[in-house]
Amino acid sequence: MVSDNFKDIRKPAIFSIQHFCLHDGPGVRSMVFFKGCPLRCSWCQNPESWRTSPEVAFKAHLCIDCKTCVDICPQQAISAPGNRDVQKCDGCFLCVENCPSGAMVCFGKNYTSDDVLEELHPEFPYMKNTGGGVTFSGGEPTLFPEFVGQLSTRLHEQGIHTTLETCGYFDSDTDKAFLFDMDLVLFDIKLFDEAAHRRFCGKSNNEIKKNLTRFSACSSAGSGPPVWPRLPLIPTVTDTYENLTGWAQFLDSIGIQYLTLVPYHNLGASKREWLNLPPAPEFIAMTDERLEDAVKLLEQHGISCFAPGEEDWARADFNTKRNPG
Amino acid sequence: MNPSLAQAVAKQQGKIESSKQFSSLTTPTARITAIREELLTTRYSICLERPLLMEEFKKTPDGRRAKSDHPLVRRAKTIAYILSHRSPKIYENELIIGNMTSKRVAANYYPEGGSINILEDLFRLEKRQIPIYLSAREKIQLAGIGIKTGLTSVGGKTLLRPGRISHFLDFFTAKRYFITEEAGIAHQVGNYRDMVHHGLVRSDLMAKKCLDTQTLEDGTPLSSDQEAFFKSVCITIAGIRQMAENLAHAAEAKASESGITEARRKEILRSAAACRHVPYYPARTFAEGLQACWLVHVALICEDFEQGMSFGRLDQILYPLYCREIETGQLTRQKAAEIMAGFQLKTCETMPLYSERIDQYFSGNAVAQGITVGGTDADGNDVTNELSGLILDAFAQIRTREPALHVRVHENTPSWFLEKAVEVLQLGCGKPSFFGDPAVVAALESAGMSTEHARDYAVIGCVEMASQGRTYNSSDACLFNLPICLELALNEGRRFMGWNPARRRFGAATPPVAQMTSFDDVVAAFRAQVKDAVDEMVKVISWLEKTYRTTRPTLINSIVTQGCLDKGKDVTWGGGLYDLTSIQTAGLADAGDSLYAIKRLVFDEQRMSLSQLANILKNNFAGHETLRLELVNKFPHFGNGIKEVDAMTQRAADVYSDVVRSHKNTRGGRYVPGIYSMTCHIGFGRKTGALPSGRLAGARLSNGLSPVDGLDRCGPTAVLRSAASLDSHKWANCYALNMKFDKKIVSGQTGKKALSGIFRTYFDQGGMQVQVNVLDADMLREARRDPSAHPGLVVRVAGYCAYFKDLQPSVQDEIIERTAHGIG
Repeated sequence: MVSDNFKDIRKPAIFSIQHFCLHDGPGVRSMVFFKGCPLRCSWCQNPESWRTSPEVAFKAHLCIDCKTCVDICPQQAISAPGNRDVQKCDGCFLCVENCPSGAMVCFGKNYTSDDVLEELHPEFPYMKNTGGGVTFSGGEPTLFPEFVGQLSTRLHEQGIHTTLETCGYFDSDTDKAFLFDMDLVLFDIKLFDEAAHRRFCGKSNNEIKKNLTRFSACSSAGSGPPVWPRLPLIPTVTDTYENLTGWAQFLDSIGIQYLTLVPYHNLGASKREWLNLPPAPEFIAMTDERLEDAVKLLEQHGISCFAPGEEDWARADFNTKRNPG
Repeated sequence: MNPSLAQAVAKQQGKIESSKQFSSLTTPTARITAIREELLTTRYSICLERPLLMEEFKKTPDGRRAKSDHPLVRRAKTIAYILSHRSPKIYENELIIGNMTSKRVAANYYPEGGSINILEDLFRLEKRQIPIYLSAREKIQLAGIGIKTGLTSVGGKTLLRPGRISHFLDFFTAKRYFITEEAGIAHQVGNYRDMVHHGLVRSDLMAKKCLDTQTLEDGTPLSSDQEAFFKSVCITIAGIRQMAENLAHAAEAKASESGITEARRKEILRSAAACRHVPYYPARTFAEGLQACWLVHVALICEDFEQGMSFGRLDQILYPLYCREIETGQLTRQKAAEIMAGFQLKTCETMPLYSERIDQYFSGNAVAQGITVGGTDADGNDVTNELSGLILDAFAQIRTREPALHVRVHENTPSWFLEKAVEVLQLGCGKPSFFGDPAVVAALESAGMSTEHARDYAVIGCVEMASQGRTYNSSDACLFNLPICLELALNEGRRFMGWNPARRRFGAATPPVAQMTSFDDVVAAFRAQVKDAVDEMVKVISWLEKTYRTTRPTLINSIVTQGCLDKGKDVTWGGGLYDLTSIQTAGLADAGDSLYAIKRLVFDEQRMSLSQLANILKNNFAGHETLRLELVNKFPHFGNGIKEVDAMTQRAADVYSDVVRSHKNTRGGRYVPGIYSMTCHIGFGRKTGALPSGRLAGARLSNGLSPVDGLDRCGPTAVLRSAASLDSHKWANCYALNMKFDKKIVSGQTGKKALSGIFRTYFDQGGMQVQVNVLDADMLREARRDPSAHPGLVVRVAGYCAYFKDLQPSVQDEIIERTAHGIG
């Protein structure tokens, strides 16, 4: 029912390459979003990042009901626009290619590292002049260690700074040597309590804590890149007293005294609709007061808080040779 | 430069390192706040003093005699009369004095130009989008002036003649072009260096000597025209001196009034002394330098009209005076910033006079009195100085619609300066705009300028450029509609829509589409249509140029333009060292995207015949919405860093540029192309049929060099890459590349580093110009109401950026809230 390509680790699916990103590492960056994620955080804003394979989505508000998709499908899997039988669909994406209005879209396209480099290449001068680079994000880029490692090496050859944004859920003992070759790791943390993490994110956080500890140790020892934690602030979920103090103490214990707070916005809602997924649970909106309270609490525990894009990277001994800015 | 000034500059340069950051200079003093408040709360009006003085002059004995004078002398006497009889006003708090009109904030009325169009709005002046307030008596006066002088404008005199009426009517139904030169030529960066450091006295003495010896400087005997020219120069200079004298007198009277503090009295008397000295004699202080610039500026605007009258590189011109006074301690940086802010505020005293109909072509109430900062000397060395930064700081104090600020960028532009410029941008006034020296210099060289002169360029008005003080550049002669030429090419010279389009041929008689068998045939027909339109336009401009010579020569402009006094010729007669006429086009990206679509759809993929496509366009895609959406959504468009379609944009631009450049004006100067559109892309768009790019009939065209709204889908760096990839060396009148950012994206240290870095890269890659609009809450609200208003608008949501139109309404509201309160 889906493209075979996704199994080819040399050509993972990437659902977006975005340029001029200012909030995921220093300078002007291009983001490479990999498809596939081991976690299922209930507030996730990028549901298209969950599965590793390319997938079809339908933006009903753009559809002009021209029925091109119905006529063109070789499997007759589409009975009416927006009504696609996923069992019959073999992932040829002809419907997407031929949809004039852009209502049918495909999230994810299989890329070789040559393809990715070709798309990033024109941006290199912009990255270099702003002290920026490339950020691998997702989804979870560590699902494709070989690919990301190779890409990172090739970018380094061109003098480009690389950053990895990870959910931290991976087995760092096997085949993850490339991680230590990055110039910066943005490490997402969510819930401190293990049971709560399981409940909201679908997996235990033991591995995540272990990896963060290990990264921090390598970083201080000079054998790994600087690590910078980021915490999405979900009202009543991750901004609770217990959660914040839990993380604050943990971070402090492993020698990290800085943290980026990413306030929650309910923007992924329409994407879930396009993917025909059940709606995300509603969380109350983040307010300035809550944000201030969280910052205050964390700073009481000696953790400096930053907004995305406003980090003081020097705090993480950010002095790599590849960053000219 | 005199030796003592040169010494002061040398001493000061050693100290610049320590004085790059003056954050305190961006805080307005009480004086600046008060003047600004007064200007912003004053209602707009129209000043009728100038036309009334013109009428008055005609009735004086001198005026009656002037009828038999040489046209230059007649004009000089008229202008001198206006200058020496206008009422001087001394406003509160000002350090630089000299009123632009008889009212605090008003538009001048120019009977010789296009001001008459305001009569269209006479009965609803207060109800306009930009309201204008006049007393009932003034309205009657205005109507009287309009009726009396309506036929005497340059446009009227030139075109209300047998065989030319249809061209006159073109002003009301502009489709292929809009000839702005009819309103006046203006658009000048005069030789303010000469005005500040040598004064008018130099020109005055030179003219008198030529009259005495009856020869030019080089010994050539004077013709009667040349004799008239030099006489006129002397008359005009006397007029300017009298205007300054009247101001000085009024200032002294003000100083003697009771209730004025001693400190203020001294200030006013200092201003009076300055006006007795400059602009006739060289300025002795920084303040006098600015006072000289201001008085010459007022005189230039009184003479021609206000549009694009610019000051040039004030950071270079005033630097020696500034250094000397800082050195001796007579001036502090704080005081210099205050004087500079007050000077800049004076540019808010004027505005253009457009009826609402005209306003759709030139919306925004902008005069664009440009100040250019940064850049290089004639040898290419960086000359960014402390004053370059101080001029930006001064603007940060006032944040007003005028003046226009322009920053020159080259490889050695210091980072502190570029970052300071971005900080000013972050204030959200859309200023400054940025210019890439290498691309600009190459383009000016292609227009015939020496490298040294090209490197001394300054920006005229919004984007046009000239070697300052050396160029007579009718830089806004005409706006051109390039896409309509493609429409005409696909329909044998007829429009797709409009009144009885089938019968009336509008452009060249190009072959029917059925006979076009290759893409080159289409381009050839397009070229023929562009040529036909440009030929027609040049014909009309040539008529206007002849009228200018006899009825509206501009002697003050000639005094501030090198070459005129050497040749004994007015600028309108071809006196300028460099003489250009500049045409600018709207809709370049529409034209390029459309050529690409035709090639791919009809010739490469052969999905339909050209006739079929033309028929679909004639019917405005009726019944072919699927095709239209495919063209919009699935075909590549300019501005995304895609070579194939960017190359088509280049091709469309080359057709246009080559045709424009093949012409000469009646002064012997060259025609040069530019790519910007004011807001003509809206007015022209209404008259343009459906285009192969998927654009519907009547929709607005792309703006200047910017991509079609909403079709730049790969972010700002991709837009910059596409723009920088184009060969711009033929575009000697520059281009405008507009970008819009959400305030939140470009704020703070991160935004400053990012924007200054991407601009530097863009200019390294050959970019010529970029201007940024930082959107405020009102604009976001407009985008919320009407998604087509700002379709390409990127906003920052939480930690990332998104297209505003793609956000859910609730999120849009939240972002509007956030922007309105400056939080998030």
